[in-house]
Amino acid sequence: MRTDPPGEVLRPTRPFGGTVAFLWTEVLVQAHESLAMATAMVTQTVLLVFVYILNPSLIGVALIGAVLFSAFTLGQRVLNEAAYIRIDHKANDLYLAGPMSPEGYFLGMAAGILVVYIAPIALLGGLAVVVGHLALTTSLALLGLAGLVWLFAASIGYIFSTFFRDNRAIWAYASLFFNVFGVLPPVFYPFGFFPPALQPVALLMPPSAAAALLQSRIGEAALSSGQAELALFGLVAETVVVFLVAIFWARRTVRGP
Amino acid sequence: MNVEPLWSEDLRKTYTTKGSPPVEALAGVSMSVHPGERVALLGRNGAGKTTFLRIASTLLRPTSGSIRVFGHDVSEHPERARPYIAVVPQEGKPFFHLAPREMIYTYLRARGLSRETSQTRTEEAIERMGLTEFADRLCITLSGGQRQRTMVATVIATQAPLLFLDEPTIGMDPFARREVWASLRDLTTKGSTILLTTHYLDEAEALSDRLYIVERGKVIVSGTADDLKRSVGGTLKLSLPEGAAHLDSFSSFGEVLADGKSLTIIVSPERLGELMDLAIQRQLTATVGSVTLEEAFLRVVGRKIDED
Repeated sequence: MRTDPPGEVLRPTRPFGGTVAFLWTEVLVQAHESLAMATAMVTQTVLLVFVYILNPSLIGVALIGAVLFSAFTLGQRVLNEAAYIRIDHKANDLYLAGPMSPEGYFLGMAAGILVVYIAPIALLGGLAVVVGHLALTTSLALLGLAGLVWLFAASIGYIFSTFFRDNRAIWAYASLFFNVFGVLPPVFYPFGFFPPALQPVALLMPPSAAAALLQSRIGEAALSSGQAELALFGLVAETVVVFLVAIFWARRTVRGP
Repeated sequence: MNVEPLWSEDLRKTYTTKGSPPVEALAGVSMSVHPGERVALLGRNGAGKTTFLRIASTLLRPTSGSIRVFGHDVSEHPERARPYIAVVPQEGKPFFHLAPREMIYTYLRARGLSRETSQTRTEEAIERMGLTEFADRLCITLSGGQRQRTMVATVIATQAPLLFLDEPTIGMDPFARREVWASLRDLTTKGSTILLTTHYLDEAEALSDRLYIVERGKVIVSGTADDLKRSVGGTLKLSLPEGAAHLDSFSSFGEVLADGKSLTIIVSPERLGELMDLAIQRQLTATVGSVTLEEAFLRVVGRKIDED
């Protein structure tokens, strides 16, 4: 009888174990919903059209904002997906009561969603580079900052997903959270248009902090050195902290929040 | 240290919610499951079966008590127990936008199995569970029973040393249920150990080597199905459709259940001949049958298994 069973099933759980496998699971799941990929771009496209009609000279700023907004709203998809799997399918129990690591489950899901939505985001990024005549360093900065915004939003999305017991409540709150923090602050429009008294707040919000830094690089925003440091260090610090909390929380909530 | 596949002692769980009185779901459960056994956990709704299974499968913290999986303390080091287990969650569903073949394969890969092993076991599980015909159809297009079969196939394919199955055959037709039973028997002959909950008492009887009945968070009976039947006075029952008028004559043979005009007497095989003689003397029509596990359960628990 099997009391000390051999084989690869019994490899001890490694940190982040199962991330890549669950990433591909999520890619397969998401890839069957091609319409969702199209609808993911609706808000950005509408805002780009408005900006182009009202002030075509700001389309470069708006395109950068659209890339950052897209990365940010992937957090909403992580929130919805994690909650749906847990509440509707109870399939999280299937994965978490086994050798797969809880942080691998979270990160695999977030990365899988990113992989599926990367094509439309890359299209927006390509347009931002071409239309805004972005230099290579600015393009790389866009890539890196969008990555930080994605990691922040995905982590927040996963943490929030554990607090809900009903999907209908999630739809309202998630949409409100991600649209308010992604649209109201200066993400699609220049940082200087935002009320000066509220500018420090915008610099502490990851999407608008990233947007302000990129606008500064292309000459569309005048940030003081203090403001630029606040935006950059704030974004990095918030992302690192929220990501670490998400890993801790993923491990903690295997046995309930 | 106890290295049984599953062992618990005085396991307790109390749910506390703000503004509500605490609910004691487990009130000191002690049990052990031996290597290669199939053990059923029975009880009516809310008895504590799923709470026990969730604690044992590292998905819930106990309030107190000890529980070990292959010697690993589930409360203190759940990560050490997890490689040994696989779970079919209660009301769990496969991903609707995956086909059964994709679901099983990707799950095995997520558990760390190699591509080759995952492929081999996926095909074996598909064939074993009768999923071949719709293995490449999205789960959203499958019936409830087919989805449940996909969940069971996914977990069976792991060949994990200890499997927890929470109502694994719910929604399945009788043929599919028997396929699951055969697969589970096969797994235990290969060395796996199984703890399952079910509301189908015929399933518990057909499948389990031993069973535990849980009521209000406590184990009230443990043993084999035959032990349980014997505990209610016998393994046979004699039904007398017109026997109620002769109640006094039959009451000395064992437990007598009166229902309108009819009588049912639970009796041991040794006293059946004597009882039949009496029925013939009284010119009563009699039918002999086995006491079912459900009847024994009803006598022990005092109400139906699906009664709240």
